[in-house]
Amino acid sequence: MDLVQPVVQRLPNDIGGIVGDPVVRIDRPLEPWEKRCHALADVLDFHKIINTEEKRRGVESLGSAMIGALGYYERWAVVFANLLFQKGVLTPEEVALKMAGIDARSSAERGDDAGEPR
Amino acid sequence: MPETPQPATAPLLSVVLATGEAPRFAPGDAIRVSDRSPIGHYRVPLYLRGKAGTVEAIIRPARVNNEEEGFGRNIGENRHYYRIAIPMTALWPAYRGSSQDSLRIEVFETWLERA
Amino acid sequence: MTEHDHDHSHPHAEIAADGAPGYFEVLETALRELLIEKGFIKAAEIRRQIEVIDSRTPALGAKIVVKAWTDSVFRAQLLANGRAACEELGITFYDDTSLIVLENTETVHNLIVCTLCSCYPRPVLGLPPDWYKLKPYRARAVIEPRAVLAEFGTIIPDDVEVRVSDSTAVVRYLVLPRRPAGTENYSLDRLEALVTRDAMIGVVPVTLDSVEA
Repeated sequence: MDLVQPVVQRLPNDIGGIVGDPVVRIDRPLEPWEKRCHALADVLDFHKIINTEEKRRGVESLGSAMIGALGYYERWAVVFANLLFQKGVLTPEEVALKMAGIDARSSAERGDDAGEPR
Repeated sequence: MPETPQPATAPLLSVVLATGEAPRFAPGDAIRVSDRSPIGHYRVPLYLRGKAGTVEAIIRPARVNNEEEGFGRNIGENRHYYRIAIPMTALWPAYRGSSQDSLRIEVFETWLERA
Repeated sequence: MTEHDHDHSHPHAEIAADGAPGYFEVLETALRELLIEKGFIKAAEIRRQIEVIDSRTPALGAKIVVKAWTDSVFRAQLLANGRAACEELGITFYDDTSLIVLENTETVHNLIVCTLCSCYPRPVLGLPPDWYKLKPYRARAVIEPRAVLAEFGTIIPDDVEVRVSDSTAVVRYLVLPRRPAGTENYSLDRLEALVTRDAMIGVVPVTLDSVEA
């Protein structure tokens, strides 16, 4: 139990004081979708559909593996999906269908043969 | 809203304050951050648990507990956050900077006890 | 607890070789379009918020700093209630946060961080740089601030207190850096050009050869 308890007690984002690597001065401008994602977060918060603290808790809930594998705004997109499902606002099925539709639409716009999913 | 303590004068009208309306702590108070381990969501970092410090300011107005807000509770029993001052040497046993260095952090009222 | 994560900020191949949007861009689009179709949010609100985000840049923070340097009444108001003073200048806060402006002095050097996530004074500075959101800065600023400052080329004498403010709740911070000597005759524009985002985070001072990163 001694090995497991700290895993439960320390959230993956609670890293203050864990001495690590040098600061690398990364300073990249946002992709357009990332900025839309940030705007979506703000609008969801205004409406209290997903408030900012719920989003933070949602990111914590992803767990270390997914947090490590995903970039900053990628985590937000997944969290929005998770929370919207939990709240019964959207279903996984309708999101999956919508995503397939967007893929097909963007294939068609790019003039791909047959618009097949990638 | 100015972040200063209430003046210590008698109120003009006698009213009963709702829970959380009056700040429990005042600037200068010696406090200790509670030492409990909530599961799932918290906003008081582990490095702060059980540490002693001083209230520097009351953050006004009283607000919702952000830890409860994380579960979708957007309204409720409002209380105050407090800006707490703690020397670095009190936080970190092997602190290597100047002994004058310090931390400031906001903590919700329900996480603070009188030291 | 070991951390094997890769802690990066770049998206994964978001634009594929054939120009197709990546998985997460498609996910974001799907969620937004569904929410709009179902009437939970409006497309115009998203468009507007993108404009709000685009309008908040370090240039705003620089104006606030320079006004505090040159107007002692404003400076006092700013230090007493950061949000109210900024709102007087027409800088709205579109959220519930407070703003505390941290004055650097001969005896105190301020530094801001959000160890738990990436809280940042967005209404007055815009979006935070990646390094502010990544692990090394967030983990180390509260335990070895002087070492972190040194990585930015900033050395603070031992008799000056380094004061680190960790935002975990409703308060956001803006560092009010010290005005460099030799700027007494500078115009407001020239002063504003000296004040960088990094100086308002507190990792560097304002110097006569400050250049916006």
